[in-house]
Amino acid sequence: MVQFKEAALVRSILTLDRRTALKGLAGALLAGMAMPAFAQDAPVTGGTLIYLEQQAHTNLYPPAGGFYPNGGVLNQITDKLTYQNPQTLEIEPWLAESWDVNDTATEYTFKLRPGVTFSDGTPLDAKTVALNYDTFGLGNKDLKYPVSEVINNYDRAEVIDDLTIRFHFKAPSPGFLQGTAVIGSGIVAASTLARPYDELGDATRIIGTGPFVVESETLGKELNLKVREDYTWGPAKFAHQGRAYLDGIKYIITPEDSVRIGALLAGQADAIRQIQAYDEPQVVDAGFPIHAPGTRGLNNAISFRPDNPLVADLRVRQALLLATNRKEIVDTLFSANYPLATSVLSSQAAGYVDLSDKLVFDQDKAKALFAEAGWTAGADGILEKDGGKLDLTVYVSLPQPQNEGVLQLLAQQWAQVGVKLNVLAGDAGSRTLDLLDPLKTPVNVTMVGRADPDVIKSAYYPKNRDWLLQKGGSSDKTSFVDEKLNGLLEGLAAETNRERRLAIAGEIQNHVLDQAYTIPFFEEPQAFATAPYVNGLEFEAVGRPSFYNTWLAAH
Amino acid sequence: MSRYILSRLGQALLVLWIAFTVSYLLLQALPGDAILIKFQNPELGLGPEQIAALREAYGVDSPLWQQYLHTLGNFLTGQFGYSVVGSVPVAHELLANLPATARLASLGLILATALALAIAFLATLAPFAWLRGALQSIPALFVSIPVFWLGIMLIQIFSFRLKWISVINPGEIEGLILPVLTLAVPISAPLAQILLRNIDEASTQGYVAVARAKGASPTWVLWKHVARNALLPTLTIAGILFGELLAGAVITETVFGLNGIGGLTERSVRFQDTSVIQAVVVFSAAAFVLVNLAVDLLYPVFDPRLRKAKGVLA
Repeated sequence: MVQFKEAALVRSILTLDRRTALKGLAGALLAGMAMPAFAQDAPVTGGTLIYLEQQAHTNLYPPAGGFYPNGGVLNQITDKLTYQNPQTLEIEPWLAESWDVNDTATEYTFKLRPGVTFSDGTPLDAKTVALNYDTFGLGNKDLKYPVSEVINNYDRAEVIDDLTIRFHFKAPSPGFLQGTAVIGSGIVAASTLARPYDELGDATRIIGTGPFVVESETLGKELNLKVREDYTWGPAKFAHQGRAYLDGIKYIITPEDSVRIGALLAGQADAIRQIQAYDEPQVVDAGFPIHAPGTRGLNNAISFRPDNPLVADLRVRQALLLATNRKEIVDTLFSANYPLATSVLSSQAAGYVDLSDKLVFDQDKAKALFAEAGWTAGADGILEKDGGKLDLTVYVSLPQPQNEGVLQLLAQQWAQVGVKLNVLAGDAGSRTLDLLDPLKTPVNVTMVGRADPDVIKSAYYPKNRDWLLQKGGSSDKTSFVDEKLNGLLEGLAAETNRERRLAIAGEIQNHVLDQAYTIPFFEEPQAFATAPYVNGLEFEAVGRPSFYNTWLAAH
Repeated sequence: MSRYILSRLGQALLVLWIAFTVSYLLLQALPGDAILIKFQNPELGLGPEQIAALREAYGVDSPLWQQYLHTLGNFLTGQFGYSVVGSVPVAHELLANLPATARLASLGLILATALALAIAFLATLAPFAWLRGALQSIPALFVSIPVFWLGIMLIQIFSFRLKWISVINPGEIEGLILPVLTLAVPISAPLAQILLRNIDEASTQGYVAVARAKGASPTWVLWKHVARNALLPTLTIAGILFGELLAGAVITETVFGLNGIGGLTERSVRFQDTSVIQAVVVFSAAAFVLVNLAVDLLYPVFDPRLRKAKGVLA
């Protein structure tokens, strides 16, 4: 990809820069020693934060907030019913003061906080919340709204009174409470939801209750947020409840990595998103902090499609798992901000179990398993069986960091045991189509961030993301089915007792690794860098930035 | 004259229609479509039934000719549809991206022309052979410089190190200096080459020998006699280059974070955002047609011999 070659070229040119930076290390050390002084001051109100984004936002319908540029905007202009504490993962009150769940998790009653208004003046009431969740849960065919991934089995919303709302579900939905705290459940005004879905790419049309309001936008270039002066409803457990400290935020789209980082270091920007592992040293050397919150879901990994005869045999998949030196991949390409995965789930996620003993690197054992499964090395070194070669294909996944490098290193490792892995870039159209065909894509790059055990079902269940391409899913070319896995996933999504739910999550992780469906590499973070005078940059549970508590020290 | 204008208009419309149709057919030949790419995206986590319902709502699986006529009809009535990727009306996206590209293209061409003229004139009037050789190899150097490298180097030196120019949130004029320079350098190369060749060729013409015999200095000969004739083919090339620049300069836009037609086109092609691509194709075709018309009308201004042939043009 041009991006990677550019970066490598620029790095070699910028060695000059690094020597200069080292010369200035004394200055940086002094700045470093001065940093605690910045942090101890009381928050300063005022100033505009210049924030550099890598890509422009697309559609700002809250359930589309999964895309990080979208989430970065939505998290400032919309609030949610509840707030998920990023440290404890507990659900705390926000726009909803309190809630009640019935025993079977089919009825959720929320009491809304009084006095909350949208930026267009309309009050937040049960009717508007009902409209929001009806749209997120059921979609809207006329206006072409798709449903939200986090809301399952939704039946309807019932308005009890102005500030009380009850949600009904067709089947137990224990993950719904956490679902009210995710980026995809930001509450927007009725006027926003009255527009067709195709018009929500215009940020000025998104009216929320958030601490910031969209002031103006130049499509594809920049977005200006202004503080909402009359804001008094921060998340309930926050000490800070009033207006945000910043006067405004300016999002500027800067696609080129070196320009983004250089601008931060040269003092032209205050905060940036997306900084690759290989660029971290130059930022850290200059005394600028790097924030790398984890995304707390399923780790960056590859998953197999057992419908493809090449990987249908469990022994083959297990051998491939044994032939993968995950530590080498993480050590070669990444930094300390990308911890080696010790399970399918992130170690910061609820329900995580440490399965490092199932993630071993053993080439000899791998070769033995291949032999046992009937594969023998041909003249060119590639394993053969019944006239066919063990020739696999995988598509690069652009949103995942350094994915091409990861897959190429993986291909080199697998080549040592006689397996050929073709790493394809492909255009979006071919890629999307081929990913639905297990014969074309026996291996797929997988990762999803969400701080609730429901994320596992979201990934593997046929009616959701269907990573393994099971029968009954998005592809009509499949016959593979894992009844045990599906049963466990359905149980996970329906179990109302928290301990039992986490236990099921543990069982699923064990099963996935026993069946060698997935080879996890690392726990994927979102990497940000800020100037030393930026304080209070926080992240919600899945690594999206929140600027509510952010303030700029004098500089 | 009016017959001329009418016939040019007719040709223009034909060109636009052909461009529209060919690009439409090519896009349809690609695997997948914009709706599939957008909604089959794992980040939305939609199930198969939901995706099928959306495809039906957008009418993506209706017959090809039906979709084509529908789109053509909309275009003729000025409705360009919505961008699937950006979720805004296509017209808004085009209007948002046009100013940056127009400014970049015009200023880039002007600077490139100035550079090309400077190189060509200096090379022709150079007193020493080695100087002439050096100047003549500058176009080859300019065209070999990778645009992204030049852009990044200019930013690193002038913006980050010397801090003369701000690249993030600059003023209007400040924000144009570096990108225009980045763009002008490789564009000036073909212009300079053509100019040098044509100056050499024109210098062999009879009237030049006459002027020299009459005692004119090389500068006089170059300026009064050779330049105008050498400029004609250069004008054609400049027209083509301008048309290309209007279609957008992707790399410069990406490096400098400018929202221009180039970046818009690249993103739309990547995600097969048909409505945007169609609009950009029609716009680019219209731009080329207009530029060609301008060049054709400028030729007689430069070359008096063509003025007499007005009867042919009328």
